Amino acid sequence: MNIVDISFLSLAVGYGLLIFPLSILLWYRIPIVGDTLWAIVRMTVQLLFVGLYLEVVFSLNNFWLNGAWLLIMIGVADTSITRGCGLRLGRFAGPLFLALLLGTAVPLFFFVGPILVRPHLLDAQYAIPIGGMILGNCLRADIIGVSNFYRSVRKSEKAFLQVLAQGARFSEATRPFLRDAVQAALAPTVATMATIGLVSLPGMMTGVILGGADPMTAIKYQIAIMIAIFSGTAITVALAIWLTMKSSFTAYGVLDCRIFKT
Amino acid sequence: MKQGPAIQIDNLTVKFNGRTVVERFSMSLASSDRVTLTGRSGSGKTTILRCILGFTVPDEGSIAIEGEQVTGASIWKLRTRLAYVAQEPDLGTGQVRQVLERPFTYHTNARLGGNRSRIPELFRRFMLPAEMMDKDIVTLSGGERQRVAIVSAILLQRPILLLDEATSALDKSASQAVADFFKSQGDLTVLSVAHDPEGFSFSKDIIELPGGSDGGGQ
Repeated sequence: MNIVDISFLSLAVGYGLLIFPLSILLWYRIPIVGDTLWAIVRMTVQLLFVGLYLEVVFSLNNFWLNGAWLLIMIGVADTSITRGCGLRLGRFAGPLFLALLLGTAVPLFFFVGPILVRPHLLDAQYAIPIGGMILGNCLRADIIGVSNFYRSVRKSEKAFLQVLAQGARFSEATRPFLRDAVQAALAPTVATMATIGLVSLPGMMTGVILGGADPMTAIKYQIAIMIAIFSGTAITVALAIWLTMKSSFTAYGVLDCRIFKT
Repeated sequence: MKQGPAIQIDNLTVKFNGRTVVERFSMSLASSDRVTLTGRSGSGKTTILRCILGFTVPDEGSIAIEGEQVTGASIWKLRTRLAYVAQEPDLGTGQVRQVLERPFTYHTNARLGGNRSRIPELFRRFMLPAEMMDKDIVTLSGGERQRVAIVSAILLQRPILLLDEATSALDKSASQAVADFFKSQGDLTVLSVAHDPEGFSFSKDIIELPGGSDGGGQ
């Protein structure tokens, strides 16, 4: 059973569906028509570009090329986290890159190695889509976790300084904030795991079914990817905060507010 | 420790955004001394306390606590010689009981856990009802919160106490109760900051800082 291809002509017909959302936007004069059209153009160009690139990556299926692709994706995720958190790129880019790399690579290699038992850990067919799914979730978790941590410390500065004045070590003073930030970052994945399959068929499962596999295989993939995503987000968010903490506080344990753009 | 004055400040200068808040300020506080810094808003009173605690790094000058210079490396140990009551103290969240017990969960204070037994006596002295222990800290009035913060500081049994407008929200009798308590603690070194030093009758010296204005903050 092979998946049916969509011809470019058919895809063009698919754009016809946009008549409904665009009509609604125009009818109610919702002022995001320009943004919507721009987003559709961007989505099309970006995905076509990625599609062309992936054709090459998949046909060559070279270890280094696949690895480079994942590193580029991590680099893009890295810059969007620092932008999303309103933090200064220079200080955070390095530690966040490492946090994303480990958060993605550890569960990915576990997935492709012991679970799928593939001979090559960076086999394009598995490493690129699975790596992308884990990374996407790591990105979201880091934005929530890192911004939650630094904004909470800044917001509760008086209470934080009081704790330092009471003789707390740096790790003791930051622990409640770290705990809350990691919890906030992991909560969406925990909620997804608890309701998955009841509300909608998850993306990976849909992909595996469309690819021609039977539903039970799809379910097993979905369970494995959820575990990989959960592990990846936990690793990346804990590391992201831990690795950026050193340069974000002064030697006296006070938050250096220059890390914020605003 | 205790190899020098409790607090020694030499030529302290602090600037915020180019404005000089504290200029070449020096003072020496011997062990068991009680000194109140006073002055108008913006004269740098709070800033001096913040520098002692390592919350603000001075542009020039130095501070030593019991003979040891305040640096990024030494401050962690030196803070265990200090207790601090902030202006409008923020003691975190939870019931008063939890707020008072939290400092004892820190490694450095673990051995002081027995001091919890002093809470009822201190509550009585500072005219706080015992039932308040179960109240949420955010529901307390400013004056009640100040007294809870003072109790918390006393329980840490530090030799040096830094008070920043610590009785500003107290009525006369509560303020007097706090003053009487500190008078009775002969060994304690107290450096306090007050807009109006009248309530700090336990202080031996009052130092008036120059500068500042009546309206501005610091």
